[in-house]
Amino acid sequence: MEVKDGEAEATKAAAELSPEKPATIWARRLIIAAFWLVVVCLGLPHWIWTTSIQRSDLPLDSMNAWAEGKACQLHYPLHIGLTAPDLDPEHATSFASDLEALLNGHQSFRLHHFHVQTEHSSNDTPGPKQVLNVVLNTASAPKTPQATLQSWGPILNADHQVGRPEDLKQVATFLASQISNIFEDESAALWHLIKDTPFANGVQPLALSPEKSSALDRRMTRAFKYAPAYHLTFSMFTPGAAPSAWDIDKALEEYISPLLRPLSSISDFTIDTQVQLFASFSPSIAGPAFNAEKNHWTLHYGDLTGFVNAAEWPLSPSIGEGPTINFVLYVPSQEKKPLLIDENDGSSWIIPQWGGVQIHNAPSAQPHNLTLDDLRPDMLIFADQLAGLLGVPPSPPSLSLRMSSLTRERATGLILSASSTLGALSRLTLKLTSIAIPDSVAKSVDETLHRLDQACTNLRDGHFQLALENARIAETEVEKAFFEPSMVGQVYFPEEHKVAVYVPLLGPMAVPLIMSGIKELKKLRERKQKAA
Amino acid sequence: MRLFDLPTALLALLASSNVVSATHTSNWAVLVSTSKFWFNYRHMANTLSLYRTVKRLGIPDSQIILMLPDDMACNPRNSFAGSVFNDKSRQLDLYDDKGTLEHMAGMGGIEVDYRGNEVTVENFIRLLTDRWPASHPTSKRLMTDDRSNILIYMTGHGGNEFLKFQDSEEISSFDLADAFEQMWEKKRYHEMLFMIDTCQANTMYPAFYTPNIIATGSSAKDQSSYSHHADQDVGVAVIDRWTYYNLEFLETRLNSTSADVRLGELFDYYTFDRVHSDAGVRYDLFPGGEGAARDRRVLDFFGSVQGVETDISHGTDANDWKKDLESLKQIWERQEEAVKESNKTQVVKQGQSEATIKPAKNSRSALDMAQKGDDWVKKAAGLGSLVVLGAAWLASSALAKSA
Repeated sequence: MEVKDGEAEATKAAAELSPEKPATIWARRLIIAAFWLVVVCLGLPHWIWTTSIQRSDLPLDSMNAWAEGKACQLHYPLHIGLTAPDLDPEHATSFASDLEALLNGHQSFRLHHFHVQTEHSSNDTPGPKQVLNVVLNTASAPKTPQATLQSWGPILNADHQVGRPEDLKQVATFLASQISNIFEDESAALWHLIKDTPFANGVQPLALSPEKSSALDRRMTRAFKYAPAYHLTFSMFTPGAAPSAWDIDKALEEYISPLLRPLSSISDFTIDTQVQLFASFSPSIAGPAFNAEKNHWTLHYGDLTGFVNAAEWPLSPSIGEGPTINFVLYVPSQEKKPLLIDENDGSSWIIPQWGGVQIHNAPSAQPHNLTLDDLRPDMLIFADQLAGLLGVPPSPPSLSLRMSSLTRERATGLILSASSTLGALSRLTLKLTSIAIPDSVAKSVDETLHRLDQACTNLRDGHFQLALENARIAETEVEKAFFEPSMVGQVYFPEEHKVAVYVPLLGPMAVPLIMSGIKELKKLRERKQKAA
Repeated sequence: MRLFDLPTALLALLASSNVVSATHTSNWAVLVSTSKFWFNYRHMANTLSLYRTVKRLGIPDSQIILMLPDDMACNPRNSFAGSVFNDKSRQLDLYDDKGTLEHMAGMGGIEVDYRGNEVTVENFIRLLTDRWPASHPTSKRLMTDDRSNILIYMTGHGGNEFLKFQDSEEISSFDLADAFEQMWEKKRYHEMLFMIDTCQANTMYPAFYTPNIIATGSSAKDQSSYSHHADQDVGVAVIDRWTYYNLEFLETRLNSTSADVRLGELFDYYTFDRVHSDAGVRYDLFPGGEGAARDRRVLDFFGSVQGVETDISHGTDANDWKKDLESLKQIWERQEEAVKESNKTQVVKQGQSEATIKPAKNSRSALDMAQKGDDWVKKAAGLGSLVVLGAAWLASSALAKSA
């Protein structure tokens, strides 16, 4: 009964529902507006702030300028000193300018520019270091002109007879051809380095013969990539118990250190050595076979790649920083001696970008200790292999000139690689828009650009060592920028994922908010229409 | 001298013809299994089988990155403790190959680079792009350059355009494509063979957009990738079909490191009869397209085809070298003396700096991303804003009550 009454009252009340009081309407509007205010003013910025990705501004224009080779025209001025004690200053100066004109007109030099200075002119201006000193001897010269390079320094001794003053022209031609012979290979190597990069734009192309470019290719492939530090490992492996010791410390001091000292201006080196007894070949190679005809044991050429038993011989690559250059001295057992390569009867080979292997075939009985004398031929080979693996050019015959060539080549290589990394970084920042770019990257990029500029200026001024140092820093910095560890993210979120994350989170909240908002707006419009 | 040079030049030419055919100088392999748990035994067996094959064909352990999220050999359900097999004959223990014959040594154990919880999408992308904190060991990094060929093999459970990692996360084909793009821009590979054995595997590679990649997968969209057979004693399936036939081909056709087998032959081996799904190959990213890609040697990716240079030409200048080295030493001694002289005159107590051979620098400080200063500030700010929001909510509810 009562229930019925209640129902009846309720329907009555609903029917007679008086219009809402304005206060309630305003309260409802205020509530909805407050919710929307929180969403728009607090929620939205909060969401944007927490989901945004920090992206520092990078100097993209200058980065691209370097990548496109527009920021720097590579150019190598070579200063050559001329000492001619038998010529009077006036003749010497005109001779020097003749020589300079001849060299600069030579067709094999596109990137080099020669400056020949006599001792008189070079005294007053302390210019850049001279890459070559020419000592011309005309007084007591033999009939046939000759020129010899000093092996210990960048000095070219030339002898040429000069009877009449007109002979000087001949002498200049002779010297020009000698000097161009010295720098021809370097010029080819530098051109080979830049020819496929944007830096070659604007340089007249240098025609290289196919043999020469394949030889250069092989040289570049053989050499390790530039690293600020290398680790050298000298290992002796033997299948038996002897020899179990070698005078490696003395041998290294004698034959390797002299080579490393001048190279240490380019990279740092660390060395370790080891002896491994009872070392066996890997099962994947055929192994040595006896050649009765030649009366020695032979290794097939195809076996050379698998000779080093990577699985068992402890030649770990992960010692310290930088790549490891391996040198393996293999001493075959007494009964399998001498062991030579089948194809050419040699006993040593280079594995590009890995190291060198040398088989020690001393005729004497197996000693327990390899002395310095036993090791001499092996160490000379190792020194040669080391030079090859580090990219020291094979010519000219003077080691100090080869080192200075290497300085220029390495500086160029570093500038090219740093520029290409800058280009890669700038392209990636544009392409992968959702990757973070922290401030440290921008800082490293600025430093790189600064150092590259300096390296370029140094090159143009002929300060090649400084150029190398600046290029080294540029390369390190740009690598740091590119490989910034925090620049990794799961970059890509598919749309389904976004929906799947946001709908359960926002759906229950958004539906009443939006619905009540729309309702209220509708009511507002109706009321306005009524009023109108 | 000239006379000597002729035969050596010929030899060099011979040697170079061998080198030229292989334009890369190193081979790397990244082998990834992405699933945990005993019933995914076959995924570990798949990966270890591939590991064994590339190692047999000459890629050294230091150039193989192996990612295993679980260790089946030590699983308590494994009735052959310490072993993992890929065939019910159980002839070959993949986990520790001691060799089956008396006179032939086995391949030995395995070197796992990333295991257990280290196998994550983040670590995999870091591995490819080489973005690591300075403290990361060299042996766990992919140290490739523009002359490196890379083989990437992945197996696990996948779906349309994704591959599941460890039941908790997944890598999408777009992430993978972006990672490859970063590798290409930084010249971190020469050529790449991407292989994937999952369900709907072929959907993983259409997103790739960088050149020099050949991609192949086990099954088309909406297709499953099936296991080959189960071992009753192990109790689970031991290998997947597609991987099984890859291995069958590699084991029978590539017996030595000089086998001249082309990739096309390998791809033709994936027939529907064998694999029971439509294996796919993508050629268009490779310069030269299908023809060039099919003509690549299998060993360009599975083996380590290093060129070797026999340097007998230098045997003749050993004396030159000796002279050079001796003169270098003389220069050094002279310089050293000069330095000593000047030291004497200036009475400088500075010790002789003979250490041109410097120890490797360890100055780069380790960078732990979780402990970088900015992050703490950010975290604090985030927490603060959450607290403020919470407080506002509490206050409003308190107000509502009091009202």
